[in-house]
Order: sequence, then structure tokens, then C-alpha cells
Amino acid sequence: MADLPMMPAQRTRMTTSFFRKHKLLLMPLAFIAPAFAMFSLFVIYPIIQSIGLSFTQWQGIGPKTWVGLNNYRMLFNDAVFWTSLMNNVYWLVLFLLAPVFGLFVALFLNQTVFGIRLVKSLFFFPFVVSQIVVGIIFAWFYDPAFGLLATVLEPIGLDMPPILSDETLATFGIILAGLWPQTAYCMILYLTGLNSVNPEVIEAARLDGAKGWQLLVKIVLPQLRAATFIALVVTIIGALRSFDLVAVMTEGGPYNSSNVLAYYMYDNAIFRYRMGYASSIATVLFLIMNVYIVWFLMRLWNNEKGTR
Amino acid sequence: MADVVLKNVRKSFGAVDVIKGVDLEARHGEFVVFVGPSGCGKSTLLRMICGLEKITSGQLLIGDEDMSDVEASDRGTAMVFQSYALYPHMTVAENMSFALRMAKAPRAEVDKRVRRAAEILQITHLLDRKPKDMSGGQRQRVAIGRAIVRAPKVFLFDEPLSNLDAELRVQMRVELSKLHNEIGATMIYVTHDQVEAMTMADKIVVLRDGLIEQIGSPLDLYTAPDNRFVAGFIGSPQMNFLQGQVTGVSGIEVQVAVPDAPDHILRVPLRRTAQVQVGQNVTVGIRPEHFLGTPEGPGLEVRIDVVENLGGIAYAYGKTNAGQELILKAESERPPHSGMVVTASINDAYCHLFDDAGQTLSTSAGAIRLRDAAA
Ligand SMILES: Nc1ncnc2c1ncn2[C@@H]1O[C@H](COP(=O)(O)OP(=O)(O)OP(=O)(O)O)[C@@H](O)[C@H]1O
Ligand SMILES: [Mg+2]
Repeated sequence: MADLPMMPAQRTRMTTSFFRKHKLLLMPLAFIAPAFAMFSLFVIYPIIQSIGLSFTQWQGIGPKTWVGLNNYRMLFNDAVFWTSLMNNVYWLVLFLLAPVFGLFVALFLNQTVFGIRLVKSLFFFPFVVSQIVVGIIFAWFYDPAFGLLATVLEPIGLDMPPILSDETLATFGIILAGLWPQTAYCMILYLTGLNSVNPEVIEAARLDGAKGWQLLVKIVLPQLRAATFIALVVTIIGALRSFDLVAVMTEGGPYNSSNVLAYYMYDNAIFRYRMGYASSIATVLFLIMNVYIVWFLMRLWNNEKGTR
Repeated sequence: MADVVLKNVRKSFGAVDVIKGVDLEARHGEFVVFVGPSGCGKSTLLRMICGLEKITSGQLLIGDEDMSDVEASDRGTAMVFQSYALYPHMTVAENMSFALRMAKAPRAEVDKRVRRAAEILQITHLLDRKPKDMSGGQRQRVAIGRAIVRAPKVFLFDEPLSNLDAELRVQMRVELSKLHNEIGATMIYVTHDQVEAMTMADKIVVLRDGLIEQIGSPLDLYTAPDNRFVAGFIGSPQMNFLQGQVTGVSGIEVQVAVPDAPDHILRVPLRRTAQVQVGQNVTVGIRPEHFLGTPEGPGLEVRIDVVENLGGIAYAYGKTNAGQELILKAESERPPHSGMVVTASINDAYCHLFDDAGQTLSTSAGAIRLRDAAA
């Protein structure tokens, strides 16, 4: 009987020593576990579910029918899908102007001139405003009858095309609207990056005879690599998941000419109850994004290795 | 021939006058050190010489050419920054060759000069490293190497050693002096460090509030400071200052009574130009080492508070009967201990006298001996 109280004490000692021995392994796992559980439940599980759904025909309620690759076969014969994909490519290419513009705006705002704070906050503005509001503002701006653009162009004698209802122009009109907040975003990233550049390094470069363009390309830009990387990732992902502006400004029209994959998927799921078909679009979009995500992760991985 | 000449140079940032009229000459091959309290404009002066700041008014000559409006990169100056300011994304070799590559120098020439500079600084094995993979001292060498490669007429250093630890500082100090002898270029050097200033300089420029207080060789400034500010600024530990009153003037000698030492009348040789009246208040300056070693006879009674024994020398910090703080040099083998009252007798010949405006009235024995040695 006298031994009994010893038992639990011994056991705790054993567990603590086991825990202590493997502390370096267990602690990180313990910290990661909650986030990992959430991530699995709300991200990984839906992705798998959605991919599974893409092999079925389903109207949102009622029975699911397994149709194999049928949805994908339909997809590749769907002209709207190809238009949307092409439009996503336009988005992707033209959105890459955002980091470029963002850099130049940041360089401009990085000066210490009287009143620069006010100017800075004006440039922050589109970043703060919701995408929906951006879309509405630009829709007004483009309005062929009363819009600001028409009002400005008319007196000069230029004819104003109805941008958002023109099959060839609509996508570009929306992209331009999207570039506005995206540029602000990249600008913020670059401003932060510029803050961490040692001004004495710039001065040293000036003494060494670098000026203007060369100073930018050879000294400043290499030090902004981290900012450039993030700006590129955010911009590419932003271009691929473009949705809200399309929804607000054209709903994909006219005749699906400004549609993008994300909106086409939404359209199929919500308005046409083609959950399986929508899921197959989602899966294609997911695969495209994965190219960039893998690139991003590999960069991160290499950086981590480099700092070790 | 003068390599750098400043004529009545001024600098204002908006309404704030930072440099208020500086005249200065650095001869070819001279090592000039700027010292002065923080914020007095040392960095600003350097930055004006190399062209990072515009000169508000006045004239700047480098090698007899007016450089006031010449591009920073074309002045023939090279600057070494306190933060090193290396290009973080370039290797050591790229860092050092950047200026030459900007100037489109032929490749062979660039390689040769980088290699030569690396040899002088013993950093050849580091040429392929990035700045982040090097120690502070190595980065400092690269920064100096970057300057050497450009073969400038004038080197400018802004507190280049202040980020290094004490031992490395001593080592780099010696190496910089060697480098100066080897290259023979004009160097202008800003520092807060007394020892750097005293040991490296051919000429020290003491600045205060944007004005030059005195220019001279280290020993000149030490033995014959022109005013109380320079006397207090040069020398470590600081010169002691006591209140005194003139009791008599006879020829070139003045008699001064110091209340702290009632039974000792100081006799101090005057400067030829000095005007002194009996009864005038003066400040007496005495360096810690200019109290007589074996206190016999009249002197100051000092109660010792703290003793710092450095091994070779010791400094005793104490107070006079009137409460005036005083620093004395003491023998390190038999230092006084705290609480002890000692009699410190003043070596008259080494005293400095300053009038109420802080101007020096006296010539000290140290200055006279220095002058005799030069003659
Ligand atoms: N760009 C500027 N605008 C306004 N004032 C400035 C500017 N640069 C320097 N000053 C002022 O000029 C004065 C001299 O500055 P400087 O950097 O030359 O001092 P310093 O002698 O190098 O000081 P430290 O020993 O601390 O380096 C300071 O009072 C500083 O506040
Ligand atoms: Mg400074």
C-alpha cells in the first residue's frame, strides 16, 4: 500500500522526461496543431471536396451523379471558358504593370518635400476603398452619357466609345479599374522596402558615380528584391482571382466578352445550379494558381535555406 | 600646394545655420582630423567637401580647382561612412570595383586595382563574399578598399572606427596611419575619439557650433590651447579649471591667487598680446598631470573620492575644500585611496589662464618648450 502513492509520481516523472527529451520536436508540433486543424477543415477539405465535385453532375440539391471527366470535356469545348481563360491571361499580363507603377509612385513619394504626407494619404486611398466601390466609381467614370471621361473628351471633339458595353474594350476597362488599387498596394510594399534602404548606401553610390537610371537599377532595385517578390505574388494571385470588379462592372458581359474564370465559375454555380461544372472550372483555376504557389514556396524554401 | 581649401564656407538648412563661415586648408598628403561636440557640423563639413551637400556660400577648392558646383563623383574625393554603406547585394570585389565600372574603366585595369587594394588591406580571401557574411572589421576594410580603388586625391572618413570594438579600433587605427604613409594622399577624418585624434592627425581642427575654434598640431592644441573650450575639449581626462584672481603683474609674468590654495600665489608667464589688470577674475586651467608629484609646501587640499588605477597610471578624482572637483594624476604603484586628503601643489609653469570670455592669456611651459624644440 505504501508503494501506491509512488506510482503516479513516478509516471509523471517518466512523462516529463519523455516530453523534455523530445521538447524540440513536440513544442513546434503543438503550436502548429491548432492552425493546421483549422486550415485542414476550412481550406484543404473544401479543395478536395470541390475537386471531387468536378467529376459529378449536381444541382446543389438532390442526388449527385458521377460523370467522370465529362465536365472537363464540356469545358474544353466551351467557347466562354476559352474567352474567360484568355481574359485571365490579359489580366495577368496587364496587372504586372501594377508593381512597375507602384515602384515609381513609391520612389516619388519617398522624398521629403513639404506636404508629401497629404499626397501619400491620397495615394493610399484606393487601397482603403472596397473593390466594389472602385468598380462602381469606374463604371460611372466610363459612362458614355454622363461619365467624367465622356465629359472631358467631348469638348475636344473625341468620340467616347461605350467602354463597358464594347466587346473588345470591356475587359481592358475593368483591368484599368483593377490596376488602380493594385498599384496602391504595390506602392505600399515598395514604400516599406525603401524605408529599409540605408540612405548612406545611396550616397555612396552617388559618390561612386551612379545616377538616375543606373542608380535605380544597380543599387536601389536589388535592395528591394523582397518587396518586388511579394508585389509580384500578390499581383499574380490578384489577377487570377479577379472577380468582384467583373461582377460589379459588367457581370461578364457583353456576351461573356469580359468574363473571367472566377466569375464564370460563380455564374455557373449560383445562377445555373451547375455545381459539378462550376467545380471543374474551379479546379482548372486552382491548377493554374498552383504553378505560382509552387514557385512562391520554392523561393521561400531557398531563402530559408540561405539564411540558415 | 594645398589639396583642399575652404574659404568662408557656410551652410544653412532652411533657417538653421549649421556651418557659419569656415576657412581651412589641408596640404597635400596631410592627415587632418575634425573634432568637436556632437552636432557641431563635422559631418556636414565633410559632406560639403565630397559634394553630398551643396555649399550655401563660400568657396571650395580641391587641387586648386573650384569644386563648389562639380558633381560629387567628379571631385576626386572618396568617402568612408560610419555605417560602411557597402552595397549589400554585391560581393566585395563588386563593391570595390563599382565606381570604376560606372566610369567604364577597362576590365583589366579594374581587376588590377581591386586586387592591389585588396592586398594592401589583406582582404584578398574575402573578394567573393557578400557584406552580410563578414565581421565589422572586415566590412570596414572593404569600405576603405572601395575608397582606395578610386585613387582619390582626398579621402574623407566620417567616424569610420566607431562601430568597432576597442581592440579592433586600435588595430585599424594603426593600419590607417600606415595606409596614409603608404598612399600619401590627403585624408580628412572625423572622430570623437581623443586618442585617434591625437595619434593620427598632422593637424587637428576643433569645431564648435559651426565655427573653427582652433587649428593646430595635436601637441599645439594640447600645450597651447587658444581658449578654454579647446583646453577642455582636448585631453582626457579633462583639464581642471579653478577660479582665480590677478594680484599683480610684473612684466611678462602675472601673479594669481586661487582661493582654494590660499598660501600659494601662482606665477604664470603671459602671452605677449594679453592684457591683464590687477583684480581681474581669471580661470586657471591645470591638466591632471601638472600637479607636482611630491607635494611639499603650499598647495590645494584635495579629498579623494575615487581612484582609477589603469596600471601604468592612476587618476584620482576628488574635491577641494571649496567643493571644486579636481582630477589628479597619481603614481600607479602608490596611489592614494578614497577618503584620503592629499595636498596637490600646482606646477605654475604649466598653468593656463583664461579671461572671462574664455580666451587664453598665458603661455605655458609646455608650449615654450615645444617652440624651442621646433626652433
Ligand atoms: N539635413 C539637415 N537638415 C537640417 N539640419 C541638419 C541636417 N543635417 C544636419 N543638420 C543639423 O546640422 C548640425 C550639424 O550636424 P552634423 O551631422 O554635421 O553634426 P556632427 O558634428 O557630425 O555630429 P556628430 O558628432 O553627432 O556626428 C546638427 O545640429 C544637425 O541637427
Ligand atoms: Mg557626424
